[in-house]
Parts: sequence; structure tokens; C-alpha cells
Amino acid sequence: RSCILVSIGGKNIMLDCGMHMGYNDDRRFPDFSYITQNGRLTDFLDCVIISHFHLDHCGALPFMSEMVGYDGPIYMTHPTKAICPILLEDFRKITVDKKGETNFFTSQMIKDCMKKVVPLNLHQTVQVDDELEIKAYYAGHVLGAAMVHIKVGSESVVYTGDYNMTPDRHLGAAWIDKCRPDILISESTYATTIRDSKRCRERDFLKKVHESIERGGKVLIPVFALGRAQELCILLETFWERMNLKAPIYFSTGLTEKANHYYKLFITWTNQKIRKTFVQRNMFEFKHIKAFDRSYADNPGPMVVFATPGMLHAGQSLQIFKKWAGNEKNMVIMPGYCVQGTIGHKILNGQRKLEMEGRSTLDVKLQVEYMSFSAHADAKGIMQLIRMAEPRNMLLVHGEAVKMEFLKGKIEQEFSIDCYMPANGETVTVTTNPSVPVDISLNLLKREMALGGPLPDPKKPRTMHGTLIMKENSLKLVSSEQALKELGLNEHQLRFTCRVQLQDPHSDTDTLHRIYTHLKSVLKGYTIQHLPDGTVMVESIVIKVSSSTEDPNTKVLLLSWSYQVKQELFWYCGEI
Amino acid sequence: RTDMEETEFDDILDDWFIESLKTYKDLHVYQLEHPTQVIEWTSGKTVCVAGFTSSKNEILELRLPLKLFADENKGLCAERDFKVVHGGFTDAPVRFSNCLNLQVWDLGGDDSDVIRRTGSVDGSRGVSEGGSRIAARLSSQPQVLHGAESAGVRLTQLTSGQTVYTLETDSADPLSSLHFVSDAVFLAGCSNGKVYIADTRTSAAPQLSPPPPSSGESVLWWTDASAGPSCLDPSSCRIVRLSSCGQTVISDLRNPGGAVSRAQLDVQTRRCNADDVRVSWAPALDDCIAVSGFSGAVQIYSSSVWTTELQEAQPLFEHRGHAVSSQSDDGVPVFVTSHVWHPERPRTLLSAASDGSVHVWDWVDQSAAGC
Repeated sequence: RSCILVSIGGKNIMLDCGMHMGYNDDRRFPDFSYITQNGRLTDFLDCVIISHFHLDHCGALPFMSEMVGYDGPIYMTHPTKAICPILLEDFRKITVDKKGETNFFTSQMIKDCMKKVVPLNLHQTVQVDDELEIKAYYAGHVLGAAMVHIKVGSESVVYTGDYNMTPDRHLGAAWIDKCRPDILISESTYATTIRDSKRCRERDFLKKVHESIERGGKVLIPVFALGRAQELCILLETFWERMNLKAPIYFSTGLTEKANHYYKLFITWTNQKIRKTFVQRNMFEFKHIKAFDRSYADNPGPMVVFATPGMLHAGQSLQIFKKWAGNEKNMVIMPGYCVQGTIGHKILNGQRKLEMEGRSTLDVKLQVEYMSFSAHADAKGIMQLIRMAEPRNMLLVHGEAVKMEFLKGKIEQEFSIDCYMPANGETVTVTTNPSVPVDISLNLLKREMALGGPLPDPKKPRTMHGTLIMKENSLKLVSSEQALKELGLNEHQLRFTCRVQLQDPHSDTDTLHRIYTHLKSVLKGYTIQHLPDGTVMVESIVIKVSSSTEDPNTKVLLLSWSYQVKQELFWYCGEI
Repeated sequence: RTDMEETEFDDILDDWFIESLKTYKDLHVYQLEHPTQVIEWTSGKTVCVAGFTSSKNEILELRLPLKLFADENKGLCAERDFKVVHGGFTDAPVRFSNCLNLQVWDLGGDDSDVIRRTGSVDGSRGVSEGGSRIAARLSSQPQVLHGAESAGVRLTQLTSGQTVYTLETDSADPLSSLHFVSDAVFLAGCSNGKVYIADTRTSAAPQLSPPPPSSGESVLWWTDASAGPSCLDPSSCRIVRLSSCGQTVISDLRNPGGAVSRAQLDVQTRRCNADDVRVSWAPALDDCIAVSGFSGAVQIYSSSVWTTELQEAQPLFEHRGHAVSSQSDDGVPVFVTSHVWHPERPRTLLSAASDGSVHVWDWVDQSAAGC
């Protein structure tokens, strides 16, 4: 289950709120006690962001918002907002009705939860509050999946959710600009794989369907209303056309209407090719694919049927399955993950005898095929994304640390950035180096320029003096005088004094005169004055001579200088 | 690339994939970040691949997709991907050989996935163009046969670094391959077509099989020797020699100078380097030879129909996957850099190409006779 907490610039954000599909008890929910031990989460979270509609990313959302308690904004893309509640309701039905669970969210809770959703458009910056802004990017993977860029002040994080870098028949590839986030958080479940090409998976699918059809069998493909089904239909249509096949392909009507509706809504989320075709004709006006009627299931001969729901847990797909399961010529192709407790899950685990309602048993003789079409980024994809976004630090989640040392090393080597791989429950602290913007007064700039010397050069930094004032949330660099004026302070002058003892039998005046002559000869180029008040001035350094009270042959030289005196000048004076 | 070109390319690729439904039992297509010239088995299910640029290269140990081996419950296994079991880096290009130095690598155990260099073995003096060839021998203490020329071939024990055996020949011919045909007998195939057969147990002079007749000056030769379970008696092993013009000669180890059969293969001649071409006997099929490196295809021939007369031979099967799916931007056509047979599965091969692609394929024998 994906659920990541990020603290950035004083803001707390929850990224995804997924359910762990392997557990039946509370372990399937994320552990919200990391946020607070008791009570609602509203005060502790600034926002929640959901990347896409898969249950391992949003399955625990109604539980979090309605049963633990959260009233703040929940951000997700439009397609996710439309599809999430459907999946959540399906999931709820299976868990409560089929498995008889009690500590689970209700239909009303799903509705209440969705009321808190604020939809996002791609590449549009949304201000969550004065300081926190977020932006969604296209992630590929499934319809509506997004990667999200989070910024507070000059610090930023990008969370990828699930994404893929190769386009397929109905979705494009993930894309992000060179946003240089401080941290890029990426899923790494497939980080240690090199994925077989999409075409090979499709080839396998076509091979299976074809083999079944050739021997007169019937092929059932249980699908969820959106996404994979469309892709597979396009594939079969192309294949049927090329091979001049005659066996009928059916698509249950419920699917068609819903699918059409959603695709029209979210056409911008599909890839170029689909958009072009859609403009010319209706998505589901295929030559070879027709609407299904339940009576067709009894027709003799080969056929292919796409039916919902996707995990064979109820409805039309289950009805058809029951009819066809007894014949070994038939086939069922499961195109995705099935939740525990569903028939889909059972047959994928090899179960050949199923207990149905009314204590009857169903013998599963047909061929069961499991094909994974989901698109995820592998090692190469992760490297590509890093090249695109140029993050300053990398964080890989949901991988096995021991198995990812090589990838970590590769990332650190190629990009010279740190790569972290926290385990569940672990906290990672990343120090960032944010740039702080500071205004500079024009006068100060002009004065520095007037000082001469080489022109400002980015490669040769020059020291300049000024005062930094923080006023009303902005930073300004001004001259010291101006700063004092603004602050209403008087400038203080510092003068240093030191005494030097000399053995000199001459009179005070004579000693002073000797000093004056000596300095005049050694310190050429400096202004040396012998003043009538009995002092010698070297630039701004004052020298006085007086005799010691105890011993008239010991002369005490008083040297006094201000803070600004140049080092070398002072040194010369010491030469006396 | 225009939209039109893109669609055309897609169509051709789709066509090939649809055709493959009949011609392959299994097919997997992968894309590595960098092309490899080496594919070496490290177990029945894992291979090692490595880059060959002049700067930093990756070495990867890949586990083949589980689906390939799930014979019984194949349908229930959705796993089609290569799993990167171990990975490491090297500064040198990794070929079938390694220039000057042999580097020894430790594939980490279960507690780490990093491959680390643990040592090196000094290569032979006198570096030829292609560098050293190697053949590993798994005895109780791992040993490596290596050398760049016939006169410098040595058998070195990896743990101690000691030289256990040295091949003594009259001339120093650059090698194109080294093979063990049994525990102690090995073949040194030279690029000029000569083959030396030696026994590491004796200090006797090696047997020499001269290059096949009509071998020209600039012709390169590659060799493979059949060994393994089908070759319990080393003297019944066969040697295949392939030239850069496609001439192929098969000899018996008992009579290395003679020819059991010959054929002229139709290889599209492109300028081949000593490192490019591979010819190999199928370990689990009779009389089957695979050839790659001349083009973007891997060709399988059945030598059972060849005679002593030099005649043109047609491949039994041609894997054109790399050529068809390659999108080369610089106009340089893709060529296959390496191939290996699976040690047990009769018709399963792995092949790699210059565009970084790696394919795992199990072809269907559609002829009546043959492998």
C-alpha cells in the first residue's frame, strides 16, 4: 500500500492512501498513528494528494477521511475523481457482502469522502494555501494517473505515484519538465526488472485467444469498465482484420456506455493516436466487436466476450464464467490483479473446484490465463525520469533495499545525487540548500561599481559590504548608512588606542618631531601631518608623546586609530 | 521521423509479431540501456550481459522470465520480465574476452545485488586486435583457459593465479575462440582457420588442423566445438568452422584435417570484426548450428543435409526480430552482437544486438526433417 507523509517548509502532505490487498485485518490500512496517536487528522495535514485510482493507492481513502477523520482538501485529477468511487464501491461490496467484514467503510462514507475532493488539471498550479502550491503532470500508467510537484517557498518535492515511460496503444508516456525538485520520490517495485516489450505481451494475448478460437472454444475476458478493456479491444480489432477472422467478439453494453462517456470526458488523457481516431469515429464502433446480449453466451461455436466486473466477483462476467467453466476448450483471461475473496483470485491461485451459492461446486475445466498489462517504470524508466526532472536527491519507495544497491549506486554515480531507500515506517531527512532571494538597493550597487576594479564576473566573486534587513517578509541588502537611517540609529565610531614605550632622553616635543621625520621618510604616499596641538597624524592615525611620570627618559607613545584603518598602515606605525 | 514513417514502421512490426504467432512458441523482447557483446550463462536460469564502450560499463546478471520455465502452470504465471539479480560496473569494455587483463568478478550472494571485482589474471603478452579469448572450466577449483594467440594460451587457476598448463605451438596465430570439449581436451580456433587440439594432461604437442582450402588472406574464421551430454566420448566431437565469406566446414575431432560436410551460407557480408560473429552448435539438438553477426538476424542451419560438396545451404529458421524492431536513427543497420543456446531447452536461444535489444526466443521447427 502506498501512503507517504512529507513535511516540507512546515507543511504536512499525505501522498496516496492505499490499501494493502494481502491483509484482512487492520494491517491493510496505513498506520495513521505516525501522524497522531488519537483524534482526527485535519489539524495535522495540509492536504492529501491521490495519484491514481488503483486500490493500493486510494483504497484506504474513505477509511482515513471518514473513520479516522480528515476534513481538509483531497486533490486528484478529474478522471481519478470520476473512477475512484466506482472502484471503491466495488471493493466495499466484495469485502463487506462477500466476506462479511464489519470494520469497513460504507457507501455513504465513500460519497462523503468524494465531496472533499478538489480536482486537478494537468500542468496547472494550484495554491493549497498562501505558501503551498501543487501541480499535476501526466504519468501514463492508467487513465488519469498523475505525478505531482509540490512546492513550499523555494523547496520542492515530486511524487511519481505509478508511471511508465513508454507509450502504449491508449496512453502516452509520463512527462515532466526540468523542474529540479529537491527530492524526487519514485515507486521502485519494478526497479530491478527489465520489462518485456508491450508487443510481446500483446502477442501472447493474441496467441491465447487465437488458439482457443481455433479449437472452437469461447474466451471470457473479465474487465473493469475503463482502461485495459479499450486497449485490448483495439488490439483484437486490428488482429481480426489482419487475419480475416470470423468468430464474433462481444462487449457487454454496460461497458460500452460507461466507457464512451468517460473517454469523451477525458479524451485529453489518452494518447495522440486515440485522439485522432476518436475524432473520426465513435470509440466503440468497431467492425468486429458487437454489443453483447446475455443469451449469446449459450450460442455454439467460438466467441470472445469482454464482460464486467473485472474480478469475476459478481454480475455478468461471473454468470458467463459459470456457464463456460466446465468446458476445457474454453478460456478465461484475467488481465489484472484480483482481490482476495473473489473467484478471480481463487482461480489465479490454481483452484479448480469452487464453492458457489447454495453449496454447489463448480468444476473449473477451462484454461485460466493470467496476463499482466499494467505499465510500470523499470530501471531504465527511472533513469529516464531522473534525466527529465533533474532532482537534487532521489528517494526510492517500495523496493527491496538489498536488491537495489546496484541501482542506488548507478543513480549516485551517473547523477552525483544522494539516493535514499527507506523501508516502511522509516523516516528520511534530506537537507536542502534553498536559495533565498534578496533585493539589493540600487545605490549600493552603484557605489560598488564606482569603487572600480574588475566588472562583476560570475566566475570571480567580489566581496561587497552592506547590511541585510528583514522587513515585512522580504530581505533587502542596503548600505550601512541607509540601514542606520531606516532603523533610526546613530552610527558609532570605534577608536583603538595602544601605548608604546620608548627609551628616549629627549624632550617630548623633540621625540615627536623625530617620529614625524622618520615616518615622513618611510611612509611615502601617505598624508603625514605635524599638527600645532602637539600630535602627528598619519592619515587618520593619531600619535602623541608624553613622558612617563616615574622616569623622564621613558617616553609613552599613544597611538590611536579608527576601525577602518588599513592593516599595512598600522603595521608601519608599529615600526617605530 | 514523420507520422507516416512511424505508422509504416509500426505496421511492419505488427506484421512480424503476428507472423511470430506461428513461428515461435515463446518470444520475449527486451531493451537494455546499452548494447552487449556478451551473453554468458551463470546458471540454468541466469545470464550475464555487459557493455562494451570504452568508458564505464555495466555488468548485469539477469534472471530469465519465470513464465519461460513455468511449464505446468504457464497460464497462471504472468511474469515476463528479466529480473536484474546482480549489477556492477567496470571501466573496460567487456567482450567475449577482455583486452590485456582478465578481470574476475564475484556475483554477490543473496545479501547484496552488487557485482564486485575481486581480482584479475594477467593476460598474455602480445596483444592482438581482438584481445584474449577465454573458456572456463569448472573443476573442483575453477580454472580459466585464456590467450590472445595460439602460442600464449594458458590455463590458470583462479584462486592461486598459478599457470597449470601452457600451449606450445610453432606459430603465434591470433585466436578467435577457445573451447573445452571435455574435462581436459580443448580446441584453440584461430582467425586464420587453423585449429589446435590439445590435452592439458600431457605435454605432448597439440594436434593441428590446417585451415580449410580456398581460404584467402583477409578471410576470418570462427569455430565451435560440440561438447556436452551428446559428446560423452571426446573423440566423437565435431568442429564447425565458419569463414567471413560464409563458407562452413564441419570436421570430426578424430580427423580434424578432413571435412565431414561443407556448405556455403548466404550471409549478407558486411565488414565484420573478429569479435562480431558467433557460430555455435545447439547443445540439445542434433546437427543444428546457429550463426549470427553478419546482419540483424540469427540463422539456424541443419547440417544433417549437408554433403562434402560445397553447396548453398538455406537456413532452417531465421530470427529477424532485431532487424525488424530496430529504430536506428543514424542509418547504420542493426547487427546481432551475440547469441547463445539454452543448455537444455532444445530450441530456446538468447540473442543481443547493437541497438541494445536482447531477445529470448523459442522457435518452431516447421520443416519435416531437421532439428
